[in-house]
Amino acid sequence: MIGLGKIVAVHSYKGGTGKTLLSVNLAATLVKQGKKVCLLDLDFRAPSLATIFKVQKADYWLNDYLNAICEIDKVLINLSERFNGGGELFVGLANPATEAIRDMSAKDRKWEMRALGRLLALRNSLLNDKGFDYLVLDTSPGLQYSSINAIVSADLVIVATTFDRSDVEGTKRMLRELYDLFEKKTEVVVNKVLYDASLKSGKDELQTRIEEIHQVPVLGIIPCFCDVSKAEGAFIFAQEKPDHPFTKILNEVAKNLENIKA
Amino acid sequence: MSKKPLQVLEKIRENLERLNEKMEIMIELQKRGGRDVQPLPEAPLDVMTLLSMPDHLRKTAMTLCRLGQATAEDVAEQTHRARAVESAYLNQLVVMGHLKKERRGRKAFFCVDKNDQG
Repeated sequence: MIGLGKIVAVHSYKGGTGKTLLSVNLAATLVKQGKKVCLLDLDFRAPSLATIFKVQKADYWLNDYLNAICEIDKVLINLSERFNGGGELFVGLANPATEAIRDMSAKDRKWEMRALGRLLALRNSLLNDKGFDYLVLDTSPGLQYSSINAIVSADLVIVATTFDRSDVEGTKRMLRELYDLFEKKTEVVVNKVLYDASLKSGKDELQTRIEEIHQVPVLGIIPCFCDVSKAEGAFIFAQEKPDHPFTKILNEVAKNLENIKA
Repeated sequence: MSKKPLQVLEKIRENLERLNEKMEIMIELQKRGGRDVQPLPEAPLDVMTLLSMPDHLRKTAMTLCRLGQATAEDVAEQTHRARAVESAYLNQLVVMGHLKKERRGRKAFFCVDKNDQG
């Protein structure tokens, strides 16, 4: 059986650009739109999905799958009940224990090569066999092994970026020297933008400016919303606040994602 | 009767391919200036190695990573390059220690890491 699902890696040059916020809310939005989504936490240095989804304990972590201790279905936790009437959401969590983080940071090249093989195998096991529509990979910032493995495995890379000078320069470099080399389809989402979301004309000019800077399509522009910061990651914004402008932008991003050919 | 000339041609093609592969390996070893005909020690094909490769080899290596195990023909189908070109690149990657090669009957199969193939 050949699936039509997509693997989307969410990556950034710097930390704090909103990768996890984007991954989680994008996954939730896709589920609300009736999709079967699998969200994997590949940020082994700073795992966060266990806290965001309030999962206290897992029998198996993604670390175990990459260590070839178990298969992926043992790792996935079904959270579909939390999304009444929508699609399905499964999450695979990175182990947040300090020892696990230390262990993942000390892997050698051979292990990383095998980890890439196991990530690549998810296309068959999750998209083709289990019929997932989307596999969303939340990654660590910068040039980390786990992030580059995720990028190589993905059909599309969404780069979360900001207008911070060092982030802009680093992202430009990464687009040229990393994604281009792997011939990856890449789009950017610019986060924490200081503009009024209700002014459409301003948005068009901004989009042109971003495309000129990065030379890749813009998947979304997210203004700096105090409400999102105030939520402190205590709940999934796109799920709890359906009428908020942030959620509406995410709806648009999810719609655009659907039209991108893998 | 009519099959016989075809079989002979097929045999010639097969032998030419083997000869070609051997020449590719010899050329690669000559480039390295070594007299030793043994391939280089195993060199894991991780993403950092992929990043440092020349573009033409990276494309072949990445395709093989995705396929797991494949012939030059399988790789050529994905990269839209000639089978002979992919065969040359795959053999070059074998000599560099990044890939393993196994002959099964008439076909040569390449893989990244035998231990990880299902």
